[in-house]
Amino acid sequence: MAETGRLRQAAVAAPLLSPVTLLRVAIILGVLAVWEFLADSGWLYRDVVPSLLSIGRALAALLSDRNYYFNLGVTAAEIGAALAIGGTTGLAVGLLLGGNRFLSKAFEPYLYYLGPTPKIIFFPVMIMWFGVGPESKVALGTLSCFFPVALNVAAGMRQIDRVLIRVGESFRATTAQMVSKIYLPAMRHPIINGVRLGFGFALIGTLLAETKLSNKGIGFLIIQAYSVFDMPRMYAMLIVLFVLAIGANALIGRLGGLDRIKRT
Amino acid sequence: MALAQASADAILVADDIFVQFNTPEGPITAVDNVSFKVRPSEFFSVIGPSGCGKSTLFNVIGGLLGQHQGVVSVGGETISGPHKSIGMVFQEESTFPWRTVVDNVAFPLELVGMPKGKRAERARHFIRMVGLDGFENRYPGELSGGMRQRVSLARTLASEPKILLMDEPFAALDEQTRLLLGDKVLQIQQQLKQTTLLITHNITEAVQMSDRILVMTYRPGKVKRIVDIDLPRPRTSEIVSSEAFGRYVAQIWNDLREEANRGMRDEEKHMLNQDERTA
Amino acid sequence: MTLVVAHTRRSYRSYAAPMVGLGSFIAFVLLVEVLIRIGALNRFIIPAPSEIIASFGRLFLEENIVQRFIFTAAECIAAGVMVTVCGVTIGVVMQRFSLLQRACETWVAAFASAPLVLAYPLFMVIFGRNAWTIIMMGFFSALPPVILKTIEGISGTRKVLVNVGRSFNLTGTQQFWKILFPAALPTIFVGVRLGLIFALINIVGTEFLINFGGLGQLINDLAERYDLAGTYAAICFVILVSVLFFIVLEKAERWLRPVD
Repeated sequence: MAETGRLRQAAVAAPLLSPVTLLRVAIILGVLAVWEFLADSGWLYRDVVPSLLSIGRALAALLSDRNYYFNLGVTAAEIGAALAIGGTTGLAVGLLLGGNRFLSKAFEPYLYYLGPTPKIIFFPVMIMWFGVGPESKVALGTLSCFFPVALNVAAGMRQIDRVLIRVGESFRATTAQMVSKIYLPAMRHPIINGVRLGFGFALIGTLLAETKLSNKGIGFLIIQAYSVFDMPRMYAMLIVLFVLAIGANALIGRLGGLDRIKRT
Repeated sequence: MALAQASADAILVADDIFVQFNTPEGPITAVDNVSFKVRPSEFFSVIGPSGCGKSTLFNVIGGLLGQHQGVVSVGGETISGPHKSIGMVFQEESTFPWRTVVDNVAFPLELVGMPKGKRAERARHFIRMVGLDGFENRYPGELSGGMRQRVSLARTLASEPKILLMDEPFAALDEQTRLLLGDKVLQIQQQLKQTTLLITHNITEAVQMSDRILVMTYRPGKVKRIVDIDLPRPRTSEIVSSEAFGRYVAQIWNDLREEANRGMRDEEKHMLNQDERTA
Repeated sequence: MTLVVAHTRRSYRSYAAPMVGLGSFIAFVLLVEVLIRIGALNRFIIPAPSEIIASFGRLFLEENIVQRFIFTAAECIAAGVMVTVCGVTIGVVMQRFSLLQRACETWVAAFASAPLVLAYPLFMVIFGRNAWTIIMMGFFSALPPVILKTIEGISGTRKVLVNVGRSFNLTGTQQFWKILFPAALPTIFVGVRLGLIFALINIVGTEFLINFGGLGQLINDLAERYDLAGTYAAICFVILVSVLFFIVLEKAERWLRPVD
């Protein structure tokens, strides 16, 4: 509270910066200062908190490392494949369940309750089925992203405002017109949201599988850094990974938010 | 004026409509033995307490409710499913949020394959008619509730229906907007000589606009009376202060009060039963 | 129209659909069994369902699955208590100081979409290969939804309720405990429920990944020993436990939600 008070004064002195920005900068600087203090103090186990400088250096080394980009490409391809397979099947299953009450009642509970179970425990099974190569990672990523996409699309289809369907019927739209002009546009938000969630789950599934058993990909690099105890490199990789994941998530979300309508 | 016309040239005929719903508590008769005729260019209203089956009747006439007995015919043709001569305006917010105003209004024209340029031009015509010029390229989310309901009205008018069928189109709006929009509808109806069937529970609204009013009973919905409203046209919302107007309102309220009371008691009983069942 | 149809057929449809679902599931299991028996599926990749069912007994007698379950449950409870206390507190504090909320809420939301579980090697370095790594993994992945839902719940209190409080001249503290907090409770519980689900997923996952602890480690163990039927049976057990956990949480949430 004392800090906010000081910040308010600072804001008056420098009206260009809003108090929110100042607080953010203060928090970041504070965290970095504490971090650096801990790194210098030597209280913690060696290298658990490496100095900012060494993390920065590792980050620079990482971003100029060709090998890193190769592994990034491997992982991106695996995630892309997982999202493509899991997303398409999820969309198809979701449309089927959303459009048919009976099928939904019969099968959706299984998806609903299987959806939030930990998918990584299926990894041994995936290795048995698809081997130790990238295929098993794609399979786990696919499995992880299928559920959120299917459940979101099914729910989205049911949530379509009934009156919009009646409008289409009252103007005697054909089935094809109903699908292209009413169902799909009305479902754009849940579909995009499903893809956003599916992407996140595919990413986690693929990368975790890579950390468990693989010889290439970002997950492999992270676990390799762990095994040689190269902490700055591990922090650098996690930072890049988080930035990429959060950025991709925001980007997909932005796609869906542009024409969102507030209804009163 | 409406009285002068013979009933033989009716454009819309509803003959002995009967609708029953099966609910977990047994069958409920929503509409029972309802017959009426609407003449060309006439403004015809159906009024009743909530729960009298007005909206069911709306869906039957619009062809959206398959399960009914009795016949609805338009220009002598029995309807089975939505008919091209009937344009519906719904009670609920029903604009497409992903389409601009002009694309919303052009929707029915798009369905019948009218070329893009032409349908935009037609759409603009009806947008002007409901007084929304200048808002063509806005999305419904940027408009007020009353404006969105005008977009729905324009969209239905754009399909140039022989009969405009409206289900409490002003129910979700505030009182002032409702009055102004009522004037607008009345003006358009007179201008186009548009045959209109309005479903409502608002007595003043019905008396102000209609040539004839059908009063329905509470469950099962039957015809209680059909009242001729013999007031001069053009009418605006100012007419509500006239003495004749007051007499019509009083007469219809007299009919409705009994029904509304019955509805309220029924609802209370229903809730008590529910409590007993859950207890 | 659809509503009417649904009503008329509900009487027999209400049982028909779940029966079809269950029937399909049983039929699928039987089909797999048959395909394995006739050799169409490789029994060294997919064990026969009968074998899987038979190995459940082994899990109880030889693999101490009950103790493992208790261990995992204890980790979940520890993470759950920590995340409820910390998450709700942080949420309340952030909501009370609007500057803090405006500065940090997007950060928390961004963290909710970050693949936090991938930091598990880091946690292993910091906390060691023990239960704390697992608990902290569960804790951190569960934190964002609890914080966000707490903020949402308190900010979303209906204005008129706040004004009712004002009209009775409540003090700030009274206003919080008598109006804001009770009004926000259902939403907060949604956050806690989401958090607990994330915690469970990440706890079992981390156990599997670092090969330590309860049920997750059991799956890893059995897979490394190439005990196929046992691995499948253990996976089924974890799924059953998770599903039961979700059902309990849902029931609790419904019980908390006021009728409106």
